[in-house]
Amino acid sequence: MFPKSSQRRNWMFKDEAELQSLRVAANKKFVDEFKSRLDPNAQQAMLSAEEEKTLLRFYEFQMRDLCKRFVPPMPKAVIGCAFNYFKRFYLNNSVMNYHPKEILVTCVYLACKVEEFNVSIGQFVANIKGDREKAADIIINNELQLMQQLNYHLTIHNPFRPVEGFLIDIKVRSNLKNPEKLRAGIDELLDKLYLTDACLLYSPSQIALASILHSASKNQENLDLYVTQTLLGGDPSRLTDLIEAVRKIRSSCKINEPPSREVIKNLEKRLEVCRNEENNPDSQVYKERMAELVEDDEERAARRYAKVSRKQAQTEAQLLGVAPLDT
Amino acid sequence: MEDQVCPRCRTTKYRNPSLKLMVNVCGHSLCENCVDLLFLKGSGSCPECHVPLRRSNFRVQLFEDPNVEKEVDIRKRVLRDFNKKEDDFATLEEYNDYLEQVEEIIYNLVNGIDTFETNRRIEQYKKENKESIMKNKVKIGRSELELEELIEEEKQKEQMRRIGVLREETEVKKRKIRAKEALIDELMFSHGNAKEIVKTFQTMEDEEEEKIVEKATHFSTGIKFGKSGEYLLHHGQEEAPLYTYVAPIFETEGPRAPNIEEVLSGTYLEHVRAPGLDERAGGFESTISCLRALQEAVVGLYFKSS
Repeated sequence: MFPKSSQRRNWMFKDEAELQSLRVAANKKFVDEFKSRLDPNAQQAMLSAEEEKTLLRFYEFQMRDLCKRFVPPMPKAVIGCAFNYFKRFYLNNSVMNYHPKEILVTCVYLACKVEEFNVSIGQFVANIKGDREKAADIIINNELQLMQQLNYHLTIHNPFRPVEGFLIDIKVRSNLKNPEKLRAGIDELLDKLYLTDACLLYSPSQIALASILHSASKNQENLDLYVTQTLLGGDPSRLTDLIEAVRKIRSSCKINEPPSREVIKNLEKRLEVCRNEENNPDSQVYKERMAELVEDDEERAARRYAKVSRKQAQTEAQLLGVAPLDT
Repeated sequence: MEDQVCPRCRTTKYRNPSLKLMVNVCGHSLCENCVDLLFLKGSGSCPECHVPLRRSNFRVQLFEDPNVEKEVDIRKRVLRDFNKKEDDFATLEEYNDYLEQVEEIIYNLVNGIDTFETNRRIEQYKKENKESIMKNKVKIGRSELELEELIEEEKQKEQMRRIGVLREETEVKKRKIRAKEALIDELMFSHGNAKEIVKTFQTMEDEEEEKIVEKATHFSTGIKFGKSGEYLLHHGQEEAPLYTYVAPIFETEGPRAPNIEEVLSGTYLEHVRAPGLDERAGGFESTISCLRALQEAVVGLYFKSS
């Protein structure tokens, strides 16, 4: 469960400021490492941490759309899991190093596997526009890289099961009439929370409680008595912290507009110039590297042998001063 | 069983129940009386084959066939010199050849085939392998010594145990006498019911007896009865602190969740989907998922990142 999980130990952060400093550090690291290798034009184009964040927001919306219209429809836990992976990945990596549109699909694919939502790679890329074979290659090539960046902490605790638990408990221990009508409001808030950093700051049960209270207030219901008396057993010492967490979660999703298209277009253009070519599947460097990986040792040895034997034949011919005999 | 007969005086087991046949290196048996008679001086020749024998070499015949006894004797003598082990050979085949050679020599000696030639072979082998024979002898002697030491130790412990048991027994006897005296005293001087007093003393005695019975499930060496096969390998017990069970603590980091009894007795299960027939066959119960949802709801509610 959550208190002993890798999520609690390694992927929970203090506040927004800590997340921001991590992202700035990731950006700075990439800039320091690669700036000298790029031509002046590309150096100009390099993105700041703030711009990276805007791009990521845009791709989070893309990701949500991909998950929503996925065929066959995917369970909510898969979506939550994929968003968690995506956010974790870009805490320690720069957008310029790994392009978000590639990492995004890889995250969703890995989440399908981890949450036991069984789709084959063929079925999966059928949901993606463009060159499907290339997409499958990209996903499979990136998958191990992604897992390594996640430190192989693949189990994600989502708020969905806690929501179910709260609803059962509310049905039993409170006098709320028809708690099922809260569901629409709950799902709406959880949907919005995908696009925030809530999953890196609050525990899944806190997020679940926040969504339930949000939905209750929207439906003009009151669950305060249930929370203070039944759930916490009248323990006021914990109440303030919990209320604070719930308030922060609810307020974090107020501002929730996707960035404008022009801004994104501009940023994307710059990204194409300054991104790390080693990780760009269209670049020559990437293709060569992949070819090298795929190539068998045997093939390499055979090629080397052919080269050596040709050279030898040449030198022999030179020494003898005659052209090699035709056989 | 065929009657054992002394070949010299024709005494049978039937006529003399205490008949003891003796045998010497030549493999011809004699009864004890004849041995006494013939070997009065300590040495003489076998009445059948006239081989010179010593009286001290006579021993009780264990096998019915005296030829077997003879073979045992010869084998012992030959193997004293042909004492190589498997480890002394490079391959298994060489070792097998060697064993076959030994068997051949023994067979020849037992059946008197080519005795001269065979003895010559033994002498030659002895000369050639003087060193390795000595070495192996020492080796065998050492392992025998170890075994002897072990047996000695066992004996000592056994003795200690016997002394302990003896002491225990006298102690018990004394105690019984004391108890009896106390009972009589009690009966004489107390004003209570005589039957009651007898009864309490009876129970006390019973308890003591039970205490005594529970002993002796181990040998003195610390090995349980009936585990005799392993005791040569056993050298005392390892002392380590005993394992103590500590119940795992379920960290909720939140308020207490309803436990399984509350779930079963309350109305929680009405709000959970009931398992279908095929799910029940797989061992699924709705209590499990219900309990898990309830637990996950409260777990981590007090979470506060530091």
